Amino acid sequence: MNWTWFHKLGSPKWFYQWASKWATKCVLAGLALLLIGIIWGLVFAPADYQQGNSFRIIYIHVPVAMLAQSCYLAMGIAGFVALIWQMKLAPVFIKSVAVVGAIMAFIALLSGAIWGKPTWGTWWVWDARLTSVLVLFLLYMGVIAIQNALDDQVFADKAVAVVSLVGVINLPIIKYSVEWWNTLHQPATFKLTEKPAMPAEMWLPLLFSALGLYLFAAGISMWRMQLEILQRERKSKWVKQEVMADGI
Amino acid sequence: MNYRSFFKAEWLSLLRRKQDTLNALLFFIMVITLFPLGVDPSSEFLAPAAGGIIWCATALSVLMAVEGMFKEDFNDGSLEQWLASGLSVTYLVVLKVTAQWLMVVLPLLIVLPLLGQMLFLPSEALATVMLTIVLGTPALFFIGAIGAALTVALRRGAVLMLLLILPLYLPVIIFATGAVRAAQLQMSFHGQLAILAAMSIVALALSPVMTAISIKASVN
Repeated sequence: MNWTWFHKLGSPKWFYQWASKWATKCVLAGLALLLIGIIWGLVFAPADYQQGNSFRIIYIHVPVAMLAQSCYLAMGIAGFVALIWQMKLAPVFIKSVAVVGAIMAFIALLSGAIWGKPTWGTWWVWDARLTSVLVLFLLYMGVIAIQNALDDQVFADKAVAVVSLVGVINLPIIKYSVEWWNTLHQPATFKLTEKPAMPAEMWLPLLFSALGLYLFAAGISMWRMQLEILQRERKSKWVKQEVMADGI
Repeated sequence: MNYRSFFKAEWLSLLRRKQDTLNALLFFIMVITLFPLGVDPSSEFLAPAAGGIIWCATALSVLMAVEGMFKEDFNDGSLEQWLASGLSVTYLVVLKVTAQWLMVVLPLLIVLPLLGQMLFLPSEALATVMLTIVLGTPALFFIGAIGAALTVALRRGAVLMLLLILPLYLPVIIFATGAVRAAQLQMSFHGQLAILAAMSIVALALSPVMTAISIKASVN
């Protein structure tokens, strides 16, 4: 197997140039898919026989909640990479994705509350899924807090890597323990191994908006990473060339 | 310095600072007192809630005890000696946490019957509470050690450490209080105890490595 791409990822310069090619495309494609998915879902998809039109918030809630979890998983993997191979880009990735993930977890909680009011009759219940997303949000805030508290860059990078790795080991434990503790939420909408229980005209827009949101978030993260790289590598020659290229 | 002398020195220095142990204990009692005062002093509320109250107080006082664990060693340069000693920092962390655990948990177990009475905890559930504390608190100490090592260089690290570590304590609290509740309903609670022990063992396996990495990064 050819590992050149992996080694290239260790170079901030290479990543910066690669990202400047792809970030904008990702964001635009993501936005387009997201718009298609949401408009399709909100206007054209059939209403649910039980929940009526209120179910349509699924087209925001589910993609956002999925992304909130994926971001943390990705952060944990990056934390592992940062500790084992000491790749320069891994801490940059964690720092950039943490904010995106925290926002996603927050929107998931908010949209869930709005969805819960008409369906369950309350804004909040102490149910397993809700609680574990709340904990996820708190874990994100912890990563962001320690990032901001430490001034020394090298130490901050290590600390953030440790925290996200420990968090990712703990996340399944937290998830299963609160699930054992209390469950009211419906089971997962999408499972990789099974066909969804919804008809196609209902889950296709969901697929579109989920894919769109993932692409959009990937693009945004690349932008954030580019900024972070510019700041960290500000003393190197290629950054000066990059910044001076368009004049001041 | 070898492992034995290290443990002995740690243990002695903990014994000589009796006030710290006493403070953790007083903090524990104080938090427990808040519940009857703040919520409801009747036995109808307190008896079913006792397990949860005791565990919340335990988690908080463990965090308080763990938070300053490496502070003095950091300030007087002991942590640098750890790194220079040629001994494995991972094992030193295990020894240090063990000494700390004994010093905090033993007094706590001694006052527990008294507090159980004050919270109207049924006497048959008391043994279960003690068992959950013995099996569950090692996980709290080992997870907390990571946070303590990460925030040791900060002047005001306590709040940050609480924010980092407290979410990770939730599974332990859930299963410990689950065991107590099951005991109060006279149901089997061995499953919960086994899971608590498993969480402590996983924490023992993973956390010293992470703590050692954090200590090495903190001491620069």
